[in-house]
Amino acid sequence: MLVDAPYYIPGSLAEPAPSNPQDPQASGPAYGQRVAALALRGGSLAVFIGVLVFFSVTAPFFLTIGNVGNVLGQSAIAGVLAIGLTIVVIGGGSNVVTGGIDLSLAANMGLSAAVYATLVQAGYGDPVAVIAALGTGLAIGAVNAAAITLAGIVPLLATLAVMNVVAGLELVLTNNTVVPASTELLLALSASGPFGIPVLAYVLLGFTLLVAAVVQFTPLGLRLYAVGEFPEAARAAGLPVKSFVAGSFLASGLCGGFAGILSVSFLSGSTTGAGDMLLPVVVTALLGSVFSRRLVPTITGTLLSTLFVGFLINGFQLLNISSTLVSGVQGLLILLVVSATTLLRRQENV
Amino acid sequence: MSARQLSVSIPTVARSIGRHALIAALAAVFVLFAWLAPAFLSGANLLSVLVNNFALLAIVAIAMTFAVSAGGIDLSVGTAIDFASFAFVSLVLAGQPIPIAALGGLVGGVVVGLFNAVLIAGIGISPFLATLGTLFVGRSVQQLLTNGGNPVYLPPTGVPDAFRFLGHGTIVGIPVPLVVAALVVAGAWLVLSRTRFGRVVLASGIQASVVRYSGIALRRYTAATYILVSGIAAIVGLILTSTVTVYIPSSGNAFLLNAIGATFIGTTLSPHGRPNIPGTVLGVLLLSIVANGLLLSGLNFYWQQVGTGLLIFSVLAIGFANRKAAART
Amino acid sequence: MVEAVRGDGGDIIRLDAIVKRFGGAQALSGASLVVRRGTVHGLVGQNGAGKSTLIKLLAGLHEADEGRIEINGKVYDRLTPHLVEDLGIHFIHQDRLLVPTFTVGEALFLGREPRIAGTPFLDRALMRRRSAEILDRYFGLRLPHSALIADLSAAEKQIVQITRALLNNPNVLVFDEPTAALVRREADLLFQLIRRLRDDGVTIIYISHYLGEIAALCDTVTVLRNGRDVATLPLKETSAAEIGALMVNREIGDLYPKPQVVAGEALLAVDDLSLSNRYANVSFTLHKGEVLGLTGLLGSGAKETLRTLFGLETATAGSVAVKGETIFTASPAKATAKSLALVPEDRRRDGVALDLSVTENTTLASLDRFSKGVLDLGAERRATEELVKRLQVKTDGIDALVKTLSGGNQQKVAIAKWLSRQSEIYLLDEPTVGVDIAAKVEIYTLIGELAQRGAGVIVLSSDIEELLGVTDRILVFFRGQVTREFISSQTSPDQILSEVTGAYETLSNVG
Repeated sequence: MLVDAPYYIPGSLAEPAPSNPQDPQASGPAYGQRVAALALRGGSLAVFIGVLVFFSVTAPFFLTIGNVGNVLGQSAIAGVLAIGLTIVVIGGGSNVVTGGIDLSLAANMGLSAAVYATLVQAGYGDPVAVIAALGTGLAIGAVNAAAITLAGIVPLLATLAVMNVVAGLELVLTNNTVVPASTELLLALSASGPFGIPVLAYVLLGFTLLVAAVVQFTPLGLRLYAVGEFPEAARAAGLPVKSFVAGSFLASGLCGGFAGILSVSFLSGSTTGAGDMLLPVVVTALLGSVFSRRLVPTITGTLLSTLFVGFLINGFQLLNISSTLVSGVQGLLILLVVSATTLLRRQENV
Repeated sequence: MSARQLSVSIPTVARSIGRHALIAALAAVFVLFAWLAPAFLSGANLLSVLVNNFALLAIVAIAMTFAVSAGGIDLSVGTAIDFASFAFVSLVLAGQPIPIAALGGLVGGVVVGLFNAVLIAGIGISPFLATLGTLFVGRSVQQLLTNGGNPVYLPPTGVPDAFRFLGHGTIVGIPVPLVVAALVVAGAWLVLSRTRFGRVVLASGIQASVVRYSGIALRRYTAATYILVSGIAAIVGLILTSTVTVYIPSSGNAFLLNAIGATFIGTTLSPHGRPNIPGTVLGVLLLSIVANGLLLSGLNFYWQQVGTGLLIFSVLAIGFANRKAAART
Repeated sequence: MVEAVRGDGGDIIRLDAIVKRFGGAQALSGASLVVRRGTVHGLVGQNGAGKSTLIKLLAGLHEADEGRIEINGKVYDRLTPHLVEDLGIHFIHQDRLLVPTFTVGEALFLGREPRIAGTPFLDRALMRRRSAEILDRYFGLRLPHSALIADLSAAEKQIVQITRALLNNPNVLVFDEPTAALVRREADLLFQLIRRLRDDGVTIIYISHYLGEIAALCDTVTVLRNGRDVATLPLKETSAAEIGALMVNREIGDLYPKPQVVAGEALLAVDDLSLSNRYANVSFTLHKGEVLGLTGLLGSGAKETLRTLFGLETATAGSVAVKGETIFTASPAKATAKSLALVPEDRRRDGVALDLSVTENTTLASLDRFSKGVLDLGAERRATEELVKRLQVKTDGIDALVKTLSGGNQQKVAIAKWLSRQSEIYLLDEPTVGVDIAAKVEIYTLIGELAQRGAGVIVLSSDIEELLGVTDRILVFFRGQVTREFISSQTSPDQILSEVTGAYETLSNVG
C-alpha cells in the first residue's frame, strides 16, 4: 500500500513545509551520526594501534618481523573462516537471526580436514585430497544454500542443523581421534617462506587479497551488498536475490573446505574440536565492520579484526598473561561496538 | 458437517501432516528403536532417557523458549548455568547451608540475565549480539575466577546429603531432576499461555511496535524475559552441580545448540509457527530419544550426532516449507 | 503551435475497462487510461480512488481481473515487471529503493556498473564522474563524492531515484507523487526536467494530489473516482477547480451518518503545548461527546501534536489535563492509563499485530481486565465476540489471524482494542487510509457512536470532506501553529483548503 500524501493541495509548492530538507535541523542528525560513526571507526583503529604499541613496549619481541609473521600464520585458519562468514553476512544482511549467518563453518572445516587426512592415510595423493576437501566444503555450502533458498529455513537454524550433521560425520569418519597426515603440499604450507615468515601467513594475505578484490572491487561484490542490505532495492534493480544468497553460502562452504586444508597442514593432521572455533569466528567477523568507513562488513575489515584477535592472544602469551582474557576482551569489544552503533542509530531516529 | 469441512482439499491434508511432522517423527523414531533395539522399550531405559537426556535439556529449552517467544534468542543460557553452578559450589565450599548456597546459585545465574536485560532492554542491542557478547565475557570471567579454567571439585567425602539430593534424590520414587523439570514445564506453560505476562511476551515477539502502541511498557517485559530465562537456566546449574559434584568452567554451553534446536522444532507444532511449551518439550523428547535409541541400536556412537542433526533438519525443512505454502494461500 | 502537434504520435498506453478486486473489495471497477505518446498525462483522484492500484497494474505488480491492456499497439494478457521494463516503462515509486550505505554513484549504477576496460573491476572513478555530471546537468545538484545515500535529504534521495530511471533511457516514465518530499526549488527543477524529457519524446504519467502541479505541468489529465475514470480532459481548457470538483463525491450526506450530540463537560484540555521545532502554543479543549478534527500539511505539527498526546513525543512546554487533572504523558503506557487511545496511521505496523488472532489483538490493551493472576480465556473470548459483532468485523472467527482480514476490518480491530479497554479519549490518525468505501462508512458510524456514548474523539485526517463530515469542529495547523478553528457544519472544503495551504485564496484562483 502506497502511503498517500495529504489531499490535493493547490499551490502548496509555494509553501515548503517547516521540516524541509534544507533545514539544518533536519540534516543535523545525519551529520552528527557521520561524525560519531567516524569516531567509532577511528576509535577502534586507535584501540588496535594502542594495543600494538602497548605490547611492543612491554614485550620487546612483539614487533619483530618473525613474531608478526607468526601471528599472521596462526591467524590463517580463523581468518579464512571469518572471511567466509563475512561473505554470508554481506549477502544476507546484518540481522543475524533472519539475515546471513553460517554456523556450520567451523564444523565444515573439521569435516573437510578429516576428509583430507583420511584420504591421505588411505594412500591418495594431494590432488585427490585437495579436490575432495574443497568438494566437501562446497557440498556443505550447497546444502545450506538449498535449505535457505528452497526450503525457506532461516539461516540461523538451517546452518545450525547442518552443523550438527557435519560435526557428526566428522566424528564418524575419524572416530573422534587425531588422523595424522603428511604430504608435500602440507609440508610446503607449514614451512617458512621468505623473510622467515610462515607460508600460511602469505596464504592468508593472498586469500584476503583475492576475495577482497572480488567482493570490494567488482560489480558482483557491489550487488552482493545490495542484496544483503536492501533486497527490495536489489530486486528493483533486476538482481536475482536468491541466487546471490545461495552463492554466498557456496562461497562460505568453499572457505570452510579451504580452511580445512590449512588446518591439516597447521596441525599435521585432522584433529577434533573444530566446533570450538565457531563463536570466536562469528565474533571476529561481526567486529570487522568497525574497521570500514561505512560500518558495514568488509573483507579487509575482517582481516584486521582477525589480526587484532591474533595479536591479543600473542601479546598475552608474550607477557605470560593467560590468553583466556582474549575472549573477555572480544566480548567486551563487541558489546561496546554494538552499543555504540545502536545508540547512534537511536539518536538518528529521534 | 458444514460444506467447508467436507471439502478438505489435498493441500489442507498435506499441511496438517506438515504441522504434525513433529509428532509423526516422534512416533516413527519410537517404533523404529523399539524394533531395532529391544532394550529401548524397557522401563529402566525409558526412565534413564528421561533423567539423563531429557530433564536438564528440557529446562534449558524452556528457558530458551521464553527468549524466542519474545522475538529474541539467548546464547548465554550456558553462562547462566555456569554462574549458578560456580556460585553454588563456592558457597557450599565456604560452609554455607545448602538452601542458602542454592539460593546464592540462583542469584549467580540471574546476574547474567540482569546483564542481558541492561544490554537488550536498556541499550537496545539485538539479543543475538548482546547474548553473544555476554557469552564471551562470561567465559573470561569464569576463567579469571578459576585460575584459567580449572574445575572446582567438592571433596568426595563430607558433602552433605542435602547437596546430593537435587541430582540424585527421589520424591515418591521419582528422580528429583525429573520432578523439577516437570514443575518447570508446567509453570512455564501456565505463564506463557495463560497469563498477561506470557501474552505480552508472545505479542512482542510477533510485532513489538503494536505492543508499545497498546500502551504496554515493552522494555520492562523484555528485561523481565531475559531475567526469567537466566533464572530458569540457573536451576539447571544447581542440578548439574549436584549430580556431578564439580563445577567445570564454561560447561553449560553444551546445552545451547540443542536447546535452540528443540525450541524451533517445537514451533513446527504450532499452526502459526509460534514458540510454545508443549512443542519445545516434544522437541526435547525427540532429541533425547534419538540420542538414546541410536546408542542402543549398536550403531557407531558417533552416528548419534549425524542422526540427530538430520532429524532436526528434516523437521525444520518440513515445518518451514509448510509455513511457506501456508503463506502463499 | 508546438503544443498542437504534441501527442500526435498515437496512443502509447491503452488500459480499457480494467476491473480489479481484492477479496470482496473492488479497487477498480472499469477504469480506463489512454496515454498519448510524447505527452505529460496527469492522473488524479482521492485516496482510495484507485490510482495506486491502476499504477501497480501497469507496473506488472497486480493482475487485472477484467479489461484490456494495450501498449504500443500490442495487446498483452498480463504484464510482468520484467516485460514492463523491456517495454521501456519505468517507475519512480514513492518508497525510495536505494541502499543506504551506498555512495550516490553506486546507487545510480547498481545493476549496470561500468568496468575498467579489460578488467572485471568496477570503474569507481567513472561512476563518480558520471553521476556527478548527470546530477549536476539535470538538477544542478552537487554532492560530495563520498556522500552515502543515508546522508542525503529526502529530496536528494528522490532525485537520485529519478536519475536512476533516466539512465535507462525510458520511453515512459511514471512519477508517483514525486514532489511529496521536495521543496519548491527542487520541485521546479523537476518540472523543468519533465518538460525537457517530454520534448525529447518521453511520455510521462504524473500522479499527484497537488492540482496546481497538474495544471501547470500536464497536457491531459484523467480523474479517477471510486475505481473508475470519470473524465479525461485537456488541461488547457480545464481549471484546477473543475478537476477538484470531479474528484469529489457528490453524495456526501449518505457517506457521513453523523448523529447530533450535545457536547458535555471538558474531557481533555491542552494548554500552550509546544515541542521545539515541531509546533508551538497549541491549545484546545475536547468535550465529552465531541468529535474534533485536526488537519494540516506534512510537518505542520498536527500529527506531532497527536503523537505527543499519546506519549510518543515529549512536549517541551505546556500542559495536558484529563478531566481537570494535569498529566504527563511521557509514554504510551502513561497515556493509556489516563484513558487515552491512539489508532495509529500505520495500521499494519503499529495498529494491529498481523500474526496475532482477532482475540489476541482485541484484548492486548486491556489484558488486566481478564487477568486474575491467570487469564480468563472464556471472558476474553466473550468480550471479543461481542465487540466483533458490535463493530461488524468480517472475519472467519475470532481465532483468525488479523492478516487474513481486509484493511477496513483490520482497522475495526485496531479500534476494538480500545473499546475493550473502555477508553474515553480516542485519537484517530488517518483512520480511513486504505479502507474500502463500505468499511469507511462503518468507521464513520462508529465515530458517531463513540461520541454518543460520551467519549471524546480527535480525528486527524488529510481528507477534508471526511473531516467536515464526521467532526464538530476542525483545527487547522500551519507551520507548527493552530491558525484557525472552523465549525464543521458552517464550513466549505475550500475554506479549509486555503487555510491548510496558508494560501488565502480560493481554489478557482489557482491553476
